[in-house]
Amino acid sequence: MIQSVGRAARILKALGSESARLGVTELAVRLGLAKATVHGLLRTLEAHQLVEQDTETGKYRLGPALLQLGNAFLDNNELRARSLLWAEALASKAGEAVHVGVLYGPNVLLVHHVFRPDNSLQILQVGASIPWHACALGKVCVAYLDRDARAELLAGPLPRLTGRTLTARAALQAELAAVVEAGVAVEDQEAIVGEAGIAAALFDNRGAVAGAIGLAGPVERLLPAGPVPEAVAAVKEAARGLSRELGAGRPAVPGAGA
Amino acid sequence: MDAACARRWLGEVAARLAAERDFLTQLDAAIGDADHGVNMHRGFTAVMARVADLDEATPGQLLKVAGRTFVSTVGGAAGPLYGTAFLQAGDALGDAERFGPRLLAEALRAALEGVQRIGAAAVGDKTMVDAIAPALAAFELELRMGGSLETATCGAREAAAEGMRATIPLQARKGRASYLGPRSVGHQDPGATSSALMLAALADAVLADRSRRFAGGARRPGSGP
Repeated sequence: MIQSVGRAARILKALGSESARLGVTELAVRLGLAKATVHGLLRTLEAHQLVEQDTETGKYRLGPALLQLGNAFLDNNELRARSLLWAEALASKAGEAVHVGVLYGPNVLLVHHVFRPDNSLQILQVGASIPWHACALGKVCVAYLDRDARAELLAGPLPRLTGRTLTARAALQAELAAVVEAGVAVEDQEAIVGEAGIAAALFDNRGAVAGAIGLAGPVERLLPAGPVPEAVAAVKEAARGLSRELGAGRPAVPGAGA
Repeated sequence: MDAACARRWLGEVAARLAAERDFLTQLDAAIGDADHGVNMHRGFTAVMARVADLDEATPGQLLKVAGRTFVSTVGGAAGPLYGTAFLQAGDALGDAERFGPRLLAEALRAALEGVQRIGAAAVGDKTMVDAIAPALAAFELELRMGGSLETATCGAREAAAEGMRATIPLQARKGRASYLGPRSVGHQDPGATSSALMLAALADAVLADRSRRFAGGARRPGSGP
């Protein structure tokens, strides 16, 4: 490990973890480093526009180059690029918001979000990170992982996010089996009270799970009395189409035939 | 506290929500989905319309109607959470025509427990529990120390406001804000803010009730448990 690179990364993370701007002294205290060291690192980061200094207060905040890097990360995500049209079509067909996510460790990272097409004010959730066991996207991804990877996630921490989050391993294991059986995962207020999700897995050309696509919306609309059959069909259709585009299909996509 | 005071409380909440609608939405835009102010305002407007239609109702019935109206008109997390809180509080009040601070404490406790059962949130998770739990603790402490309905609701108001402000440096562990991880730090929780608003409205309603009684000259007969 190169020490100065590690320190620079810690500075960026510290600045990224708070909305407040931080001064050299605050950063030095937080990182346990000399002010002169922190100052030198900040000057270098500033030259690359990774941080910028507030002209009035002299405090530092994240710089514009990070936005470009973040966008580049999303652009390089093949799944996101290929999902744009399918996600748009699914949103207009179902009249609900669409999320596309990939599994990163024990969380689902949202790489794409299409707003519910009703002109209401909505906030972009791209970049959000949701514990896998609490959301439809995560459950359907994990349901199709290989046995070892699945066991590892089941053995990890399973935080309770609402009164309905499944946190018992046996219950989750049964749920994952049911997800494979149904070809979709359903989330009934397990991550956020009042919110539901229906998601299907996406497969790549090796037949491995590449991520998931699904609807997210108010529980009374998505699951009025169990999942709305048209919504389930639309999610499966979008997932099949998108998987085919990712190269899956021949050989057969597990679970996508339903 | 009686039905008239409960109505005054609901009206006070509705007025404050109308005034704070944009502020709540602004708070929610930073770490949620920017609909809290609009949702709460719409829900309480519906509550006031329903309550106005009820001529004869006990305080418990009023709160239960408010809860049911809230669940059916408010989307997002606020509908089921506040709806449950009002329903549970209404249940706890039972058929009492008028009640004192002890029964009110039980109603507040029932509301908090309802919210926690649905949302699984603890103090420090950056949710409405961060305002309600300390408010209930302050309310009960005030009663143990011999306080009145008035001083207890004022204590609850202060504790709720303090709990609300204390959510700013917290990292959210529940709700949509928790998806943001450390980026949720530095923002006041909209749910704790609306809860603190309701407890402030409660203190106002109780104090207004008291001045009205003194102005009228007649003290009411024994005000229940």
